[in-house]
Amino acid sequence: MTEDKKQLLEEIRKAVIEFDEDRVKELANKWIELGYDANEAIFEGLAAGMEVVGDLFAKNEYFVPEVLMCADALYAGLDILRPHIKAEDKTETKGVVVIGTVEGDVHDIGKNLVKLMFEVAGFEVHDLGKDVPLEKFVEEQLKTDADLVCLSAMMTTTMPGMKKVIEMLRERNPNVKIMIGGAPVSEKTVEMYGADATGKDAASALEEAIKMVASLREMKRKKEI
Amino acid sequence: MTPKERVMNTLEKKEVDRVPVFSGMGNVTVAGMQKYGIDFASSHANAEQMATLACSTYELFGFECAVVPFDLCVEAEALGCEVNFYAGKQNILYPTIKSKILKVGEELQVPENLLERGRIPLVKEAISLCKEKLNGEVAVGSYILGPFTLAGQILDLNDLLKSSFKKPNDVKALLSQLVEPLVDIANAFHEAGADYITVREMGAPSDVISPRMFKMLVQPYLKETIAGIKAPTILHMCGDTNMLVEMLYECGANAISVEQKNDVAATRQKLGEEAVILGNLDAYGVIVKGTPEEVEQSVKQAIEAGVDGVMPGCDIWPEVPEDNMHALIKAVEKYGAKS
Repeated sequence: MTEDKKQLLEEIRKAVIEFDEDRVKELANKWIELGYDANEAIFEGLAAGMEVVGDLFAKNEYFVPEVLMCADALYAGLDILRPHIKAEDKTETKGVVVIGTVEGDVHDIGKNLVKLMFEVAGFEVHDLGKDVPLEKFVEEQLKTDADLVCLSAMMTTTMPGMKKVIEMLRERNPNVKIMIGGAPVSEKTVEMYGADATGKDAASALEEAIKMVASLREMKRKKEI
Repeated sequence: MTPKERVMNTLEKKEVDRVPVFSGMGNVTVAGMQKYGIDFASSHANAEQMATLACSTYELFGFECAVVPFDLCVEAEALGCEVNFYAGKQNILYPTIKSKILKVGEELQVPENLLERGRIPLVKEAISLCKEKLNGEVAVGSYILGPFTLAGQILDLNDLLKSSFKKPNDVKALLSQLVEPLVDIANAFHEAGADYITVREMGAPSDVISPRMFKMLVQPYLKETIAGIKAPTILHMCGDTNMLVEMLYECGANAISVEQKNDVAATRQKLGEEAVILGNLDAYGVIVKGTPEEVEQSVKQAIEAGVDGVMPGCDIWPEVPEDNMHALIKAVEKYGAKS
């Protein structure tokens, strides 16, 4: 990697961390003008920056407003870079995801960050939004033939809705993968509800979403070696 | 001592025979709903049902208060937001706001007849009915949201949180406008018979915003709101409050209420003996999901850590097992006696 390229990636990372949306746009455009690989800027620039944001959040240096602004900066860069992803990278779409916050729950910040992660990683994402009637998840999964359904609940009071969705999904389509997330969700919930996975640290959906960006980058790096 | 005396004396830092067990938030139970054949979704819009359910937790378990309403949409509804009550749903869902009425930077129009709008008259009626049913023996409580949390109900939350950073002056202008309506609503509830008012500012713990932002944006308007309320007040905040307790205390409420993430022993050390600290049981993990033994242990720990009143860290989730409710009251009687 040339020094220029390294320097530019470092600047993209920094601009995401400093939630400088305009700077991210400027750098992403420069990256494309120089003819570099868009995917590299997405993973080693934008997503790498978001990984640091996750650490800052875990350390109580950043709070939710800062993380939201970093995500906006990331999206600004993604919008510019995505059309330039090489055809051969595009064909390796990771899969189709249906995502949403269950009925009764109007919290969507954690869900939106998980969605961001999937978009960065090149999934086709169908976002149902928040306060989603339970049957809607099943309908959408069938309609899109999604590989993965992600359910979010931020309140203990809305969590039981996830169990119902899981039962309905399994009945119609035993093979679909189901991920659940949100502050009250733990490994124990995954087991109790019959889901496939959640993040390791259930304390915060936010931290998880950002950690997952990191683990996806790791997967990708290994593949390249 | 009656349960009411116990609660009110605690809030006023007077002597009590034992630590009270009560709440500043909702505490209806499925047991109560079944006893009276009342459906949760319909109780939000029916004063008689609301009062019956609120009082049933004392009747059935000896929980030392009755609190109305049960949802967090009353103020936003009166200001013009549409509410989803989830009528006809099998599972218990708390009402939520369907439509946001404002964007940051826009002027809030507070309706002239605010106190006659939405369910404010209905909640007042429910408070009076509780008062009649409990005959002065048990304290009647009600609550309002804190200005920042109410802003999160009437505005898109993403917008509010980002603007708190980017356009703090616009957010301050809005929060300052919310103080008067909140004070008016709280005082109307007090006049209708609420013995104490809880201010719930759950949108602003340090899981969400920085202590610095709390001091700049949240604390000034909380102070103003609390200063305007004529009833004894409890300031409740859930989430991580360890970095905030001094600032919460400075807000001037009679008591502060915290959840299980708060290290009460440390809080007691920071705030001293004069502070009234309520809490800090895990409303779901222990009271609903725990065993009666775990409930008892939790109560013991809270009292040893130094709470003046045993209180769940959030609304009691209606599906609480009856044995756990009995264990809760029994444990307070066992460990809370003042010698």
